[in-house]
Amino acid sequence: MKKLINNPDHVVTEMLRGIEKAHPELTYHEGFEVISRKDKKTNKVGLVSGGGSGHEPAHAGYVGYGMLDAAVSGNVFASPSPDRIVKGIETANSGAGVLLIIKNYSGDIMNFEMSKDIAEMQGIEVDYVVVKDDVAVEDSTYSAGRRGIAGTVFVHKIAGAKAEMGGSLSEVKAAAEKTIQNVRSMGMAMAPCILPGVGKPGFTLGEDEVEIGMGIHGEPGVFHTNVKSAKAFAEILVEKILADYDYSDSEVAVMINGLGSTPLMELYIMYNEVESLLKEKNIKVYRSFVGNYMTALEMSGCSVSLLKLDDELKTLLDYEANTPGLKVRSL
Amino acid sequence: MNSNNIVDMFLEIAEKIESEKDYITELDSVLGDGDHWVNINKGYQEIVKMEDTLRGLPLSELFMKVGMSIMSVVGGSSGVLYGDAFLKASMTLKGQEAMDLQKGHEFLETALDAMMSRGKASPGDKTMIDPLFSVVKAYGDGLEKALTKQELGAAISRAAEQGMLDTKAMIAKKGRATYREDKGVGYIDAGAATMYYQLDILGKHICK
Repeated sequence: MKKLINNPDHVVTEMLRGIEKAHPELTYHEGFEVISRKDKKTNKVGLVSGGGSGHEPAHAGYVGYGMLDAAVSGNVFASPSPDRIVKGIETANSGAGVLLIIKNYSGDIMNFEMSKDIAEMQGIEVDYVVVKDDVAVEDSTYSAGRRGIAGTVFVHKIAGAKAEMGGSLSEVKAAAEKTIQNVRSMGMAMAPCILPGVGKPGFTLGEDEVEIGMGIHGEPGVFHTNVKSAKAFAEILVEKILADYDYSDSEVAVMINGLGSTPLMELYIMYNEVESLLKEKNIKVYRSFVGNYMTALEMSGCSVSLLKLDDELKTLLDYEANTPGLKVRSL
Repeated sequence: MNSNNIVDMFLEIAEKIESEKDYITELDSVLGDGDHWVNINKGYQEIVKMEDTLRGLPLSELFMKVGMSIMSVVGGSSGVLYGDAFLKASMTLKGQEAMDLQKGHEFLETALDAMMSRGKASPGDKTMIDPLFSVVKAYGDGLEKALTKQELGAAISRAAEQGMLDTKAMIAKKGRATYREDKGVGYIDAGAATMYYQLDILGKHICK
């Protein structure tokens, strides 16, 4: 295993120390593995997300103006425990309640729900939404129902804007739910990732093998295939998404998300193909995001996410965001 | 059972779990992530470290402290499931100096309910819930029949073992095993095995 680490047991803590040092506008609450915003408003709905580490910049990289107030990190690919999440909720609370954005994995759901119960006992109003955008499989290794993947970043963006504009807890939740209803994603992997604590890949793919629909923890997807052109892969991913939800004649936000070790060159090649495919189908791209947004350590591959937009979602998507992982300038 | 008896029981469980590393890891490598033993052992070793603090505590606080520590030390799904179960069950012992046979049943029943609702799982799903469910039932039946302490302890240990063995034939409905083509049929669930150790030792201590 070749990795730029000191000790597999310390990767999360040392990464979060690095994030705090690199981004002075953020605070690291060591021991709780929480990253929070320094510029805390009062009476704003707090937004908290989190999950296993290894998906950077998710979620700590989305803490900042227009997106999250706090992100809670678990160990690599493992949910954070309730004591950590409760700390995140307390940090994000400024009197108007807190919304939790949870990716749909059994461990995350249990730990976040438990944290909600504890925070409510402390008198903090807490609600949550569950993101399940991955159309690849219905039930998976770590989830009952669809998995939450890169589409989660859209939920952070939209809900974050709504909260920043002064929306109430129920309004922010409604904006998050609307995003969840309108976003679908589909991914593919070309090479596995290695967990620092394990030291070897959790699965193998042959030299000429690709897995369609693989999850962001290396969970099995839909089928194996051989290496094809970017155009052919773009078709497979987009077709699966369009078969799941009606995007006809709509405007969309597109995300081409790299899983960790796929060069931007290839992500832009994929975007070029995806945009053409959408145009052929009379689907107009309103805004695009190409980069590494929800990774799986050094896994190679990408996912495509489509968010169907209406006027409200466009306004919220265009609202200013200033975080290490995503910056949007207001128009 | 008073605080001292409970702590003694926890120490015996910790020793048992520590000694079953290879077996549990082997079970969990077939059906799970392979990390169940590491996590549950970490939790029980933490209890061992807290021995002196725990001995002096009222029962409900003892279990609350155990629950909080398991939740943060074990982590993942097992951590929150055990943590929540201990926390909720600790409430049944508020103001009690000792846990009598009736209270012991109420404690386990509350823990079972907590695990089922937190994990959204039912008996028969091939999980750690199966031995607990089997024990709660046998324990309740035993109380109704007014079994002696010794008979009740034996019934608890028997039911725990049976509940664990029953997972072998079950089709997994929760966790990683659900993805296997055989749905884990033919293998004992690792979480059920560690639950069995705990309940078997409870059965041995309850009749003292």
